[in-house]
Amino acid sequence: MNILRRTPVLLVLLLAAARLAAATSYEDAMKAVAAGNNAAALPLFEASLAADPDDLKSANEYRKAVIRTKEYDRAIGFFDKLTAQHPKAAYAWLNYGYTYVDKIPDAGSVTQVILANKALTNFSKSIELKKTWIALFTRGNSYLYWPKVFGRAPLGVADLEQAIALSRQEPKQRSVFVRAWIALGDAYWKTEQAEKAKATWRQALQLFPENPEIKARLARDGDELEKYIYDQLDPNKRVDTNLAPLWEKE
Amino acid sequence: MSRALLLALLLLPAVPPSPIRFEEIGGVVGARMRHHTRKFKGKYAGVLGMFTSGGAAAAVGDYDGDGDEDLFVTDSDAGRPNHLLRNQLAETGKLGFVDVAKEAGVAGGNDERSIVTDALWFDADNDGHADLLVARFGTPVLYRDLGNGKFEDISVKAGLTKFGNTIAVIAFDYDNDGRLDLLFGNYFQPVNLIDLPNPHVLPDNLDDAVNGGGVTLWKNVTVPGSHDIRFAEVTEKAGLAKHTGWTLDVGHGDLDNDGWPDLYFADDYGTDRLFMNNRDGTFRDATKEALGGLDTKKGMNVEMADFDRDGWLDIYVTNITDEYMKECNMLWHNSGDGTFTDLSKETGTCNTLWGWGAKFGDFDNDGWEDLFAADGLRSAGKENYIPVLLEMIIRPGVDFTDVGSWPAIGTMSWSGYQKKKLFRNLGTLAFKEMAAEAGVDNDRDGRGVALGDFDNDGKLDIYETNADQESLLYRNVSPASPGTAHWIELNLIGTKSNRDAIGARVTLKIGSVALIREVNGGNGHAAQSSKRLHFGLGAAAKIGSLEIRWPSGLVEKLATASVPLDRITTIREGSGAVNERKSR
Repeated sequence: MNILRRTPVLLVLLLAAARLAAATSYEDAMKAVAAGNNAAALPLFEASLAADPDDLKSANEYRKAVIRTKEYDRAIGFFDKLTAQHPKAAYAWLNYGYTYVDKIPDAGSVTQVILANKALTNFSKSIELKKTWIALFTRGNSYLYWPKVFGRAPLGVADLEQAIALSRQEPKQRSVFVRAWIALGDAYWKTEQAEKAKATWRQALQLFPENPEIKARLARDGDELEKYIYDQLDPNKRVDTNLAPLWEKE
Repeated sequence: MSRALLLALLLLPAVPPSPIRFEEIGGVVGARMRHHTRKFKGKYAGVLGMFTSGGAAAAVGDYDGDGDEDLFVTDSDAGRPNHLLRNQLAETGKLGFVDVAKEAGVAGGNDERSIVTDALWFDADNDGHADLLVARFGTPVLYRDLGNGKFEDISVKAGLTKFGNTIAVIAFDYDNDGRLDLLFGNYFQPVNLIDLPNPHVLPDNLDDAVNGGGVTLWKNVTVPGSHDIRFAEVTEKAGLAKHTGWTLDVGHGDLDNDGWPDLYFADDYGTDRLFMNNRDGTFRDATKEALGGLDTKKGMNVEMADFDRDGWLDIYVTNITDEYMKECNMLWHNSGDGTFTDLSKETGTCNTLWGWGAKFGDFDNDGWEDLFAADGLRSAGKENYIPVLLEMIIRPGVDFTDVGSWPAIGTMSWSGYQKKKLFRNLGTLAFKEMAAEAGVDNDRDGRGVALGDFDNDGKLDIYETNADQESLLYRNVSPASPGTAHWIELNLIGTKSNRDAIGARVTLKIGSVALIREVNGGNGHAAQSSKRLHFGLGAAAKIGSLEIRWPSGLVEKLATASVPLDRITTIREGSGAVNERKSR
């Protein structure tokens, strides 16, 4: 009986200890990054994430260090193991997907397709576990990188519409939300709904009046717009997967 | 006048560029040849057919020495004859071709065990008669030109009995000993695809494959003066054996201006290679330091020219840039210090879709080398193979090497119906695509691009081979105002150097501008261009100087008066311009 009564207390203590360990590892990792030693930071970030697999902040900094060191396969292996150990950790799955995305610009053209597909699978697992703005936006945006022949842009429309709906429930429109508006316009454009695309970007401009990417789209038409959008969706260009704007103060 | 306006006027060209125009005359002049890809049997027929969809090749050369360019055009299906198209221009005064392959004895090669893939004219025994090498998925065929319009198959006698899945071949004198050697680019490993013993023959990785056929280098060991042509394999000795990529094309040129030929290999499924000549019969792999690392692209074509007129040969490699593979070509600009920088994006030559052969040539005789590029893989039914292929590519644990893993293509198209590209060199490190305007934007499944002045009018024509389709001959009909598009063409004859003068470099100066050209032995995918060097001179009324650096090392300065404008001139090593033409 005593043990049973003490269990919640033990769990709380264990959780607190894990959080503390995660925080300590994270701080040490950030110190290594600040010192320019990204390689040394990797195991520290991994320790931090092992203790708190859903920690978006730690995973975000980890992936940045991975990009700098090009240790993509190490990170893929790490998240593979982490998600196997913590199959319910929605953000771990999300970051697992991002790790594939981060590798794409440094991969060959066929490998890019394989990586992009693996990323999608992991984003879907994250959404199955938790329908968040970031996961829906991420998967929706990923669909847009696929050539039309694969017919994935309509799936992007659905995800991005949901992401925007979620963002509109937020009390404050964070600047990062503009990404979903832009992507939704692109998704409409890729699905032959040019007017709807323009309307979406115009609506977005009212919410984010200074955004240069929206202005650039609205300033273009026809072939010029097509070229602009395809330039943005070039798989050889690194996608901005930095999630810091999600928690940075505005 | 404002400074801005003055600057704008200064930047305007003195003469507006003349148009580039071609008309397709293949059918009219008897040069339109239908190619047939090999039809395989058995359960892997579709996939093997897809992986061997090349073989449509052409080689330009004046084999009969009558002063006009002839053509050898290949076919690939079992029992289909190759074509030796003899140009009638010198005899009749009118451009026209007659297929004399059967009489000459060079029609064969597509048998039950072998597939013809490429062809090359070169004078193996320096006797003044063009011999013919026919490359195959199989053993090569070497025909010796007997000098009477007939050829003799001497492959076995010459020692060329090694089986290989060769897709590209060049002749060059790698050791500058005066005899032309042969470099074979091999796609698959040496397995007989027609009688496949093991289905694991495809690339082990689609971006970084190392299980291809690599290259084989054959040294010409013919005793000088003898017609007993012999070759000996020296791949390993020369330091080329470690290259095991899926070679689709090989090219040579003197990239460091030291008088020795260097090599570039374009590999499908990644890892092109640059080998520099050590001047001692060996090469060193300089890929990483020269190109900044290994690529993952699908290299298809190697072409070399000094496109920016800085005195250093640059390299153009086509890759795949289509709806799902966004690779971009590579225009390796030679920095002159052993390194190269890819300027394909900056120059506007990045995208030639599913690239194949591409050649530099000054099509408007303005003194700047333009670029024509073939493209297109398979134009068939409306259904697209790419989504079907994707299902296989993303399947976890799929074994790419297994022919059985690949879905059959059936009647589907795959990157087909692609428009060819013609890039006009604007002379400002920029090119303008103008294939439609020039009349060369056909949508066939292009493979080889062979350039030559088939009608001896001083304008470069284009012969394009197409897989499983008819070839095209584009006659250059670009109009030019009199006196604004001068030219010269040079036939070089080596004496101490190899007789074809392959590797010889000509430097022509007009004022402070130096144009360089090198005689090459078959650079470019599936097509050998004319060995006759063509220079467009623009409005220049005279040549400042003309210097030839022969492979033997002799540097010969020619009296400019001996090389008249708007004429074809023959130059013999050590003797300057000569009046030399033989005819059968």
